[in-house]
Amino acid sequence: MNRNLARVVATLLGALAVALPALAGAYPLQVARNVMLYMALAITWDMLLRSGQISFGIAGLFGLGAYASILGVIRAGMPAWASIPFAAAFSALAALLIGYLILRLRGMYFSIVTLALAEIFRIVIHNLHDFTGGPEGIVAPQGVIFGGSASALYWLALGGLAVALGASIWFERSKFHFALTAIRDNEIAASTSGVNIFSWLLATFVITSGIQGLLGGIFVQSYGFATPDSVFSADFTLLPLAMALLGGIHGTVGPIMGAVLLGVASEWLKLQMPYGHLVVYGIIIIIVILFMPRGLYGLARKMARPAEGRAE
Amino acid sequence: MALKRRATILAALSAAATILILLWKPSVINNGLQQAGLYAAIAIPMGLVLGIVHIVNLAHGEFMMVAAYATYFACRATGMDPLLAVLPAAAVTAAFGWVVFQLTIKRALKAPELNQLILTFGIAIALTQAVNILFTSQTFKLQLDYVSASIDIGEDTFPVWSYVFVAFAILYAVGLKLFLTRTTIGKAALAVGQNPKGAAIVGIDVNRVYGLVFALALALVGAMGALFLTKQSIFPSVGSPYTMKSFCLVAVAGIGNIPGILGASLLLGISEQVLRGFRDTRAWADIVFFVLIIAVILGRSIKWRKS
Amino acid sequence: MTKLRTEHLTRAFLGLVAVNDVSFSMEEGEILGIIGPNGAGKTTFINLVSGIIMPSSGTVEYKGRDITYLPAHDRARLGIARTYQLIHPLENLSLIQNVMVGSIFAKGNGLRAARAKAEEVCASLGLTGLDRDTSKLTILEIKKMEIARALANEPEVLFLDEVMAGLNSDETRELIAQVQTIARERKLAVGVVEHVMGVIKELTHRVIVLEAGELIAEGPYEEVSKNPRVIEAYLGGAA
Ligand SMILES: Nc1ncnc2c1ncn2[C@@H]1O[C@H](COP(=O)(O)OP(=O)(O)OP(=O)(O)O)[C@@H](O)[C@H]1O
Ligand SMILES: [Mg+2]
Repeated sequence: MNRNLARVVATLLGALAVALPALAGAYPLQVARNVMLYMALAITWDMLLRSGQISFGIAGLFGLGAYASILGVIRAGMPAWASIPFAAAFSALAALLIGYLILRLRGMYFSIVTLALAEIFRIVIHNLHDFTGGPEGIVAPQGVIFGGSASALYWLALGGLAVALGASIWFERSKFHFALTAIRDNEIAASTSGVNIFSWLLATFVITSGIQGLLGGIFVQSYGFATPDSVFSADFTLLPLAMALLGGIHGTVGPIMGAVLLGVASEWLKLQMPYGHLVVYGIIIIIVILFMPRGLYGLARKMARPAEGRAE
Repeated sequence: MALKRRATILAALSAAATILILLWKPSVINNGLQQAGLYAAIAIPMGLVLGIVHIVNLAHGEFMMVAAYATYFACRATGMDPLLAVLPAAAVTAAFGWVVFQLTIKRALKAPELNQLILTFGIAIALTQAVNILFTSQTFKLQLDYVSASIDIGEDTFPVWSYVFVAFAILYAVGLKLFLTRTTIGKAALAVGQNPKGAAIVGIDVNRVYGLVFALALALVGAMGALFLTKQSIFPSVGSPYTMKSFCLVAVAGIGNIPGILGASLLLGISEQVLRGFRDTRAWADIVFFVLIIAVILGRSIKWRKS
Repeated sequence: MTKLRTEHLTRAFLGLVAVNDVSFSMEEGEILGIIGPNGAGKTTFINLVSGIIMPSSGTVEYKGRDITYLPAHDRARLGIARTYQLIHPLENLSLIQNVMVGSIFAKGNGLRAARAKAEEVCASLGLTGLDRDTSKLTILEIKKMEIARALANEPEVLFLDEVMAGLNSDETRELIAQVQTIARERKLAVGVVEHVMGVIKELTHRVIVLEAGELIAEGPYEEVSKNPRVIEAYLGGAA
């Protein structure tokens, strides 16, 4: 019954997502694109979190993908569409190098190094100004991908979301689920059951970072320009984090719920509070982590399944 | 013991490098020392919290930023010199930290490390953005004559005001050492840091000690906020690099090794200034800390694999 | 055939030598008791052999191959499995999923094959209600689940660290019988740590005795239990 309900909701959401370009005008489509982008980022953040590792580096790998994409077009003459998978590959490669260096010591070391990533990449982009355009940013001469058609851009964003969703569901149904959950629950038991912890974490970090890079590529091609401030914006770390936490972590459903709720609200907030709208996400993060660490989806599930007696 | 050996090697290497650079470009050493003092004085309180409360406070630099803003507006309103505000800033920040601790961090002490990281990250964002709402992202600076104090040696002019940071760093390191080994509360804090369960058994109120240590660390950070204001411009995100650099320094020194933070700060401060000494490399100085922390993590994982 | 052998295995923690110069071997089909007073180094010894910690000196050999510094997950793949004195359930996986982990990663099985294997292993231990959360299990069931997880590795050497602790006498008797059957059917070499001598007497073919990290006696239980050094170690430890 519960599962059927979920299926119905999923089908409805899917149908809505597909029908939207026919129903809505340019502005709602633009809002929908943003929501889908953040939703996809929230899902990828959660995928790594299922192993117990927190990344604060979403904006870093997203922005890196964005620059890889636009520079691929401008400096290497790639077609715009091809630069998007290239962005994914570039961020994945960066994640492979970084992960290889830092995933041996985990926990806070990993988290804090990822926290620095956006800043470090931003400095690199600033300093290589002849190649990257520096602090002022860089504009693709041929402009926005697909000539800026609102519905085409919408399909592109939906495609990005589909990749994140597909990967997340694959994680939930494959060996990744067993590996990551075992690592999160008990590394010692995992390793004596044959789980190569380092390899699984590295694979997960590379895959999720690759998708974040892909989303960065989609983002930048949808606007036709990149500046360090726009693509490494703290928004891309904070919103996904707050969305996943609010919706509920360690699964695909929670981040989707959180993104639908916060995504629409964030568009409104941005208009209301041009300065400091991020304070809301900071506060959401604090409240959720203190008072409902399983998020709304966790609460809903708890209420749907009344407490059964515990065997002792 | 391994810690001590590492600290000694670090100190010896830094000293050797320092002498070389001193002969070649004295202003690099002058600036590097002062920069190191600033880094160390901010990192030491983070090391204290990490060593005893076992929490990485990702809002560390942001608390200093808040203290600097509070001092700025107090000074603007009263015409007071920020140096006079050092003690009040310490007291106010400590009180603020105590409240934040009681309301939030205390509740997450038993939660997984993951929750604590996310929590303090949330606090950092909330503080930065609250200041952003109140005062926008505009920068503020006090104009003080004495900060341009300098000494002329031969042809060169050496600014000296920032040695006050060095003085504070040394004061913090020595003061904490004495506090942790000589006073009853300090000894209790050290015991709690080493073995919280054991400390609870012998009747120490562990949560109270955590709260006190957190407040003490914030007092030290608050004082640095006022001092920081004498020299630097402030803006909402001014604290965030100090959070990351502080963690880098604590990690390089090894958790629980406060004197080591002084050595690590010298390394970071002087390396940055060496890069700043040339036009071509100037812009890369801000990634030194990142390279440093990666190198340390790498070094440690190699040692792990050997053992 | 010798499955596992250690030579002069030693591990010190900050001056405390928890395992000191232990040389021993385990044969196919053998149930070996590992006994000794509290803090004698039994768990540390198992940690060294299963790769959770690395030795300060000495070697570990598995079927003639040096595995002294091999990571734990590789040893699991080769065929060394274990349970834990303090239970290590994977709380966010169900009972059957806990058991599947061993089969998936140590044997490289696909999810379907792993599930079949896990069901078989659970059946041999009399575990039912396989889709339950671990929070719903009794202590006996958790202990059995951890044995099942180890067996799903399809190991050749299995260590059981105080699995009977905390069970009542009926449960203990049931588990002893099951362990005996499993060891026989799968030709396992089993290392058993227990404080209850009745269990050791009934279950094992041979015992080794550790005291303060050193191997002080070795032989069939009847023989070793009369050894004056062993008696003194236990009395000294208890006094
Ligand atoms: N990680 C560690 N760090 C420091 N000391 C340790 C560590 N692990 C074990 N020890 C010490 O090594 C000694 C042996 O411990 P071990 O757990 O192996 O004993 P044991 O024989 O399993 O005891 P028990 O019967 O109580 O389970 C003890 O003194 C213990 O305190
Ligand atoms: Mg033991």
